[in-house]
Amino acid sequence: MSGEEEENAAELKIGDEFLKAKCLMNCEVALILDRKYEQLQQMSEDPTNQVSQVFEKSLQYVKRFSRYKNPDAVRQVREYPSSLKQLVSIDNNLIMMILCVLGNLCPETVEEAIAMVPSIRSKGRAHDDEAIEKMLNDLAMIKKFE
Amino acid sequence: MFFHIVLERNMQLHPRHFGPHLRDKLVAKLMRDVEGTCSGRHGFVVAITGVEDIGKGLIREGTGFVTFPVKYQCVVFRPFKGEILEAVVTMVNKMGFFAEAGPVQIFVSNHLIPDDMEFQSGDMPNYTTSDGSVKIQRDSEVRLKIIGTRVDATEIFCIGTIKDDFLGVINDPGAAA
Repeated sequence: MSGEEEENAAELKIGDEFLKAKCLMNCEVALILDRKYEQLQQMSEDPTNQVSQVFEKSLQYVKRFSRYKNPDAVRQVREYPSSLKQLVSIDNNLIMMILCVLGNLCPETVEEAIAMVPSIRSKGRAHDDEAIEKMLNDLAMIKKFE
Repeated sequence: MFFHIVLERNMQLHPRHFGPHLRDKLVAKLMRDVEGTCSGRHGFVVAITGVEDIGKGLIREGTGFVTFPVKYQCVVFRPFKGEILEAVVTMVNKMGFFAEAGPVQIFVSNHLIPDDMEFQSGDMPNYTTSDGSVKIQRDSEVRLKIIGTRVDATEIFCIGTIKDDFLGVINDPGAAA
């Protein structure tokens, strides 16, 4: 694939199929996998035999690195882009991708956020420091009140 | 990053499974075949969350097997170049250290560890700053940036760096203890 060489998450350049897909925050993955694990548990006595190593490792990882524990808080973050749309002129999926990175890493300052997602204020996207700061504050608020 | 994505696969089913539970058999087989696998294109398939559509089966000549096109939703983990993520250190040696982010292994060479961090051997090998304030050892949590991925048919391997702004140790198990 020629596109393989081009990909760069920092500029949000990823494959077409992933642009169409929905990206998930660690905490969302934790909710999904936890649910699935419970289902497996009900079906058989020993679910550890049933799940793959990939599943197990992913579950451990997302549990360790989930910033939002409460499903309501997760939903709030997920719905947040609707209020963000006036600020950025990119499509919803890319906003969600930025938000997922921010939701996973929870940067505290504007500089940190820009280092994490450089494309947050690349040209053409009217994203000034104030807007970014507001976004970080809003996300911090959701976390605080979960 | 984790994604929720719709994928398609042609499933071959033995005629002995034909009957009222054909769909269940097909879904069970799909989970067995797909979960836990890794492809360079889509990354690691962590879990199937739903089956969207099962198309019309096609009998294969000569074998009696039937091929069904199945569309399913799944959670995949796909690392990208340039992505910043958090990982757990699994092994430290003088060449650098290995870290794990979910199913993927990431190697950080000592050239990509800040210059002020020195390798210390011992029963708990680690990288430490000269003043001893920051330490990377087994089980440390680090934030790193993926700068390269090597993809083969069944595995993805990543090279990372912590030599950049806002990267490095986020939680040191030694300091907390």
